[in-house]
Amino acid sequence: MYFTNITLGQYIPTGSFIHKLDPRAKLFSLLFIISAIFPAKNIFALAFWTALFVLVVYASKISWHIILRAARPVLFLVVFTFIFNLIAVSFSKDFTQGLIRAAFMSSRLLLLMLFAVMLPLTTAPLELADGLDALLRPLERIGFPAHESAMMIGMALRFIPLLMQETDKIIRAQLSRGARLDQGNIFRRVMAFIPVLIPLFIIIFRRADEIALAMEARGYDGGAGRTRRKPLVWKHVDTVAVILCAFTAAAFMFL
Amino acid sequence: MLTEKNRNNTPLIEVQSVSFSYDAKHTGRALNRVSFFVAKNERVAILGHNGSGKSTLVKILGGLQSPTEGVCMVNGKDIQDMDFRELRGIIGMVFQDPENQIVAAMVEDDVAFAPENQGLPPEEIQSRVDTALERVNMTRKQGASVSALSGGEKQRIALAGALAAKVECLILDEATAMLDPKGRLDIEAALRELHAGGMTIIQVTHQIEAENFDDIQRVIVLGKGEIIWQGITEEFWGAAEGLGFDLPDEFKARKYIDSLGLTFPDSFTSITPPAPKHTRKTDGAEKFRIEGLSFRYDEASYALREIDAEIPAGQWLSVIGRTGSGKSTLVQHLNALYKIQEGRIYFDGSELPQKGAEVHALRQKVGLVFQNPEDQLFSPTVREELAFAPSNAGFRGKELDDAIMCGLKCSSLPESFLERNPIALSGGERRLVAIASVLSAKPDCVVLDEPLAGLDASYQKKILSMLAGLRDDGRTVITISHDLNMALNCSDRILILKDSKKVQEGTPEECLEALMNILEPEGWPDVLRLSNEIRKLNKNFPLLYNYQEFISCISQI
Repeated sequence: MYFTNITLGQYIPTGSFIHKLDPRAKLFSLLFIISAIFPAKNIFALAFWTALFVLVVYASKISWHIILRAARPVLFLVVFTFIFNLIAVSFSKDFTQGLIRAAFMSSRLLLLMLFAVMLPLTTAPLELADGLDALLRPLERIGFPAHESAMMIGMALRFIPLLMQETDKIIRAQLSRGARLDQGNIFRRVMAFIPVLIPLFIIIFRRADEIALAMEARGYDGGAGRTRRKPLVWKHVDTVAVILCAFTAAAFMFL
Repeated sequence: MLTEKNRNNTPLIEVQSVSFSYDAKHTGRALNRVSFFVAKNERVAILGHNGSGKSTLVKILGGLQSPTEGVCMVNGKDIQDMDFRELRGIIGMVFQDPENQIVAAMVEDDVAFAPENQGLPPEEIQSRVDTALERVNMTRKQGASVSALSGGEKQRIALAGALAAKVECLILDEATAMLDPKGRLDIEAALRELHAGGMTIIQVTHQIEAENFDDIQRVIVLGKGEIIWQGITEEFWGAAEGLGFDLPDEFKARKYIDSLGLTFPDSFTSITPPAPKHTRKTDGAEKFRIEGLSFRYDEASYALREIDAEIPAGQWLSVIGRTGSGKSTLVQHLNALYKIQEGRIYFDGSELPQKGAEVHALRQKVGLVFQNPEDQLFSPTVREELAFAPSNAGFRGKELDDAIMCGLKCSSLPESFLERNPIALSGGERRLVAIASVLSAKPDCVVLDEPLAGLDASYQKKILSMLAGLRDDGRTVITISHDLNMALNCSDRILILKDSKKVQEGTPEECLEALMNILEPEGWPDVLRLSNEIRKLNKNFPLLYNYQEFISCISQI
């Protein structure tokens, strides 16, 4: 009811073709798709990317129910964009144009988010970390902590569902003690969340501490000298996927 | 004190006069000159209450913390001088919370973590994973997602994760504390087999469990950072109570039976069963009446299905059921945290409010204490924590001070605690403060989810007497638990849920049979399991769940 229904960052294994793609290929493809959707100017482009999204979802064998649930937290942003654009454009031009522009801007944002949400849904956190690690590796030469950053993102994704559950439980417990989380002006509402945020931070720090200890106990000592049970293998299908995405993206951007 | 076998062995771990303090001035030591050894293939238990220094010792043994003084040797080498990888290939560790040890989303990926860190080739990693999963009997779950596993299964994955590094010694830090009876038994079975296969096992715990003590060879007792007792397990039993550890009922009962030299099949023909307990009289008022309550989180399945129940005022009701049976969902309806989807709930005769100011008023009258409530404390002082609920309920000035003192009195903590920071208290004290922080709003009805979970015996007793006191005070107490001991021996009524449906509702005597049907024997109170065993030999023996009654029946024979 409060936080349990959010599947943000959760991995849903179905063993589909999308799941089996190399995480690097998925990261590259996402990068191309996002850079094509951002400047998309006409309805045909949007229609095409929507169709592609539907195709990707079907190929991933993940139910629409889960995907829409995962996307729910970003809906707020989409609605906000819609209203903001509607008001801004309606004032400067006329209402119909405002409506069109608002619809266009918000659906573009929604599409972006939906594609982005598909990545953690179809890629296990540690696999994603491996992919990011490999892609960021060149930056290590200028001192960027590539492995550490990738591992951090992977672990964060692994623990998001757990922290959502914890947040839900804390909210319920404080509501039970009579906390009013939904009344008063913005300032009062923010203050009302302190009884939720403090316990949450304590839990996060305690978990982080215990996880670090458990990882060390299993011999984790950074990325150096670490091998993988299933090393990333770049297959032909990965090349095809990336090239297709790159070409379509380029086509829409320049034509 | 050594067995013949141990004397011939070289010690795997040798702790020599190890001290540790968290502050630089070396005052208040967490460990003070601790010395002991663990031989190869020994199984040793390190026992200690909360705050005895166990966790610090675990970290030092595992090379995750350096001692302030003294040395810890592994295979004759000082841990401090040892290569990190070499040490990690000898000592594996399993901690309390399975969630905080599992790094990957899929079972095989997680078990592979340690051998991956050792830099092994992929084929070798895969074979290590397969062997480790087989040793904890989890091969059938190799392709599963970790989130789909039960707590006990997750902990076995954590165990496999340690084994995959091909360690010689396992250190378990309260590894079964968060598991249900079934999960505990599965871990114990795996440990027994590992021990038989040559593994050295060090188990650190605050509680004696009957199921594993016949396999443990030696016990080391830690108290306030020092070793206060060590010796072989058989000798430990005699010393246990003097050291402040309760013996399991089953152990005491079996010992008593042995001392009388009883053999059951023919040693008695009839026995006077204990008089049925008088049922608590009430004025017949109902606190809650639940009619046809159904609830579902999504279209697919019901969390609650057509529940009818009456909760009499001034009584203690236990809600019993396995994980996922709908217990938590049911009680969260009672203070409108979940909105009613189908059915009706009456509170003190009128319909339960679902929104607005009335819900706030309801939440003051029906206090809900979640599992591990100490995780929800947020105030800088105990006083402010206790003031949170009553001030939300509109208590001001003298009324509020009264409420705070009332909460403190329930917790049985001294007044000096009011100005202390909850975070600096011990686990048991924090639990008391957290429960008191709900009671300070003076609710008529208080609901507690697993109030005893993870506590020392001494704190468990404090909470049980607190709850009995509330009930005797005329308040309605509802507890959710899978601890049958509390349900049968303390509460007045029991409500049993299974697969989202009500199975039965009634006094402990009326519910006994249904409880025995839905929960496995390992979840029964020790005495119930024993009396059931005796009954199989001789039908005249009654089914009992109270230790005193059991002893008095046995003494009649």
